[in-house]
Amino acid sequence: MPDLAISTRGLRKTYRTRRGRTVVAVQGLDLDVPVGGVHGFLGPNGSGKTTSIRMLLGLIRADAGTMTVFDRPVPARLPEIVGRVGAIVESPKFFPAFTGRKNLELLAAAIGVPKQRVTEVLEQTSLGERGKDRFKGYSLGMKQRLAIAATLLKDPDLLIFDEPTNGLDPAGIREIRETMRGLGDQGKTVLVSSHILAEVEQVADTVSIIGHGRLLASGTVAEVIGGGTTATVKIGVDDREAAARVLTAAGLAVRADGNYLLVDGIENPAELTKRLADQQLYVNELVPIRADLESVFLELTAGEGLA
Amino acid sequence: MIRLTGVELRRLTARRITLLGVAGVVLITAFLLFVTWREAEPLSALEQQQARTSFEQDHKMWNDTHVQNEAECRKTWDPNVNPGANIDQVCSYSEPKASDYGKPQAVFSQLVPQLLHGASYFLLFAGFLIGASFVAAEFSSGAIGNWLTFEPRRMRVYGSKIAAAGLWFVPLGVVVTAVLTLGTYLIAAQLGSTAGTDWSDVIGTAVRVVVTTAMGAVLGAVVGLVLRHTAAAIGLVMGYIVLVEGVFGAFLQKVQPWLLGKNFDAFVLHDTTYDIEACTSQPDGSYTCDYIQKTLTFEHGAWYLAILTLVLVVVGGVIFQRRDVN
Repeated sequence: MPDLAISTRGLRKTYRTRRGRTVVAVQGLDLDVPVGGVHGFLGPNGSGKTTSIRMLLGLIRADAGTMTVFDRPVPARLPEIVGRVGAIVESPKFFPAFTGRKNLELLAAAIGVPKQRVTEVLEQTSLGERGKDRFKGYSLGMKQRLAIAATLLKDPDLLIFDEPTNGLDPAGIREIRETMRGLGDQGKTVLVSSHILAEVEQVADTVSIIGHGRLLASGTVAEVIGGGTTATVKIGVDDREAAARVLTAAGLAVRADGNYLLVDGIENPAELTKRLADQQLYVNELVPIRADLESVFLELTAGEGLA
Repeated sequence: MIRLTGVELRRLTARRITLLGVAGVVLITAFLLFVTWREAEPLSALEQQQARTSFEQDHKMWNDTHVQNEAECRKTWDPNVNPGANIDQVCSYSEPKASDYGKPQAVFSQLVPQLLHGASYFLLFAGFLIGASFVAAEFSSGAIGNWLTFEPRRMRVYGSKIAAAGLWFVPLGVVVTAVLTLGTYLIAAQLGSTAGTDWSDVIGTAVRVVVTTAMGAVLGAVVGLVLRHTAAAIGLVMGYIVLVEGVFGAFLQKVQPWLLGKNFDAFVLHDTTYDIEACTSQPDGSYTCDYIQKTLTFEHGAWYLAILTLVLVVVGGVIFQRRDVN
């Protein structure tokens, strides 16, 4: 059993525009996606997420670099593991004049999956009743659900969702999120690319942040958040001016925030309360302001001139 | 690949444009048989009587005048007026024949090659159109990307699509040519003549029409894949017909053996002819032009079509193999 579901090294892809200009979409991407759980693949629009996914799936050719999926080099040995990979790249694309069921039946027949499985995945994605309707009449949410149903036909070990909640209403977003989390909990590997960080933060176990086609940060969500910013603490104290003087004298960065003080660079809040208590200043409220993925993302991508 | 081809055949059968195309082919087939029946219908009794009367009048006039007219012609013959002309040809007054009056009898062995040749054009076009739409729609809808995430071996995917397009049109071509052949046979047996029928010729022509129909579908699929839009594929064909076959072919007559249309005719009709204008200066200083008829052989047409199809299929495969799918 490999440790990594996906691994890329030095992955590079350039495009030539119609005017002959060369655009670098992905430049030397090193990406590791561990087996099992949900992995967020984050980056601003145009950062190379979809291009990277397309390369992994053999839809576009990489100019340089290596890629493996379940330890198999791709695209050369993609046929060996494609049965273990389900993917939705950007918006779901099916034959618009065919019904949802017909679309799935064709895909099932192509990979030798029995028709019964089509009924099962339609039921699983709450499309049982609407399976007989034409794909072009589906709402965006239904299209997305059909795409998920298609990926489930193979009962894959790795699911790749590229911007799966684009254009969905809040209920649809929640549904997709729960589906991804559920799949991750079943032991499957889910790679979800998104620029909507709150969405990923709620479901991802690990994340990779890319910008300009390069990896900027990677690890568990806690690691990435911890590594990207310093902790800030919001404190309430009766004599704010005196408290600010004490903390500034201790070399801490202090800012006023209404009736509170914000103190940056705190590793251990107990240190802070002790210093104030030593001066007879007692903290009546202390709220650690935890960095979130969004702030890390903005910090990292701002450094790349992306935010 | 057999499984994939089966899936593609199912998809092609389920497409609405395929059903519309088949409906169009059925209508045109029925129309062709109707036109054949109308042409084979003998003249009415009144028209036959008029034709007989006309023949009898002309024959009587010929009897009365041809000796005198011939003598008069020879008497007034001046070799300087028409240099090189033969007096026996110019001054002969041939006897009218009854068969030249009225409508000629419909003969199956003459009717069926023309009919199948005509049908081959619309079958070729139907095959091309449906084949092009079959593949191009996948690219324009983006479904090809989804398909490749299920089967990433592109040559298998390509082969299955090309094979499905060609195979699907074989039964259609067989049914249409069979209906046209049998329908024409029944019409000729009823209203004309079936004498002198060489069934090996008839079957050979029908088989070649089926082959060109499948070839049209394969080429349509390849062009649809390369251009990724049905309208672009049709535009390319129209542009070729107008510019290459029409303009280029008309001004450069010597390229006719290398035009698709002529080779298509040579294959379907088992040899065809084309004319080349040959102009020469005469010793007396005049400049005369004659049309020389040349034959384009069946073998030439068959090789031409086979090589064209093979080259386009290979080029399409290389493009599909190397192209990024978005």
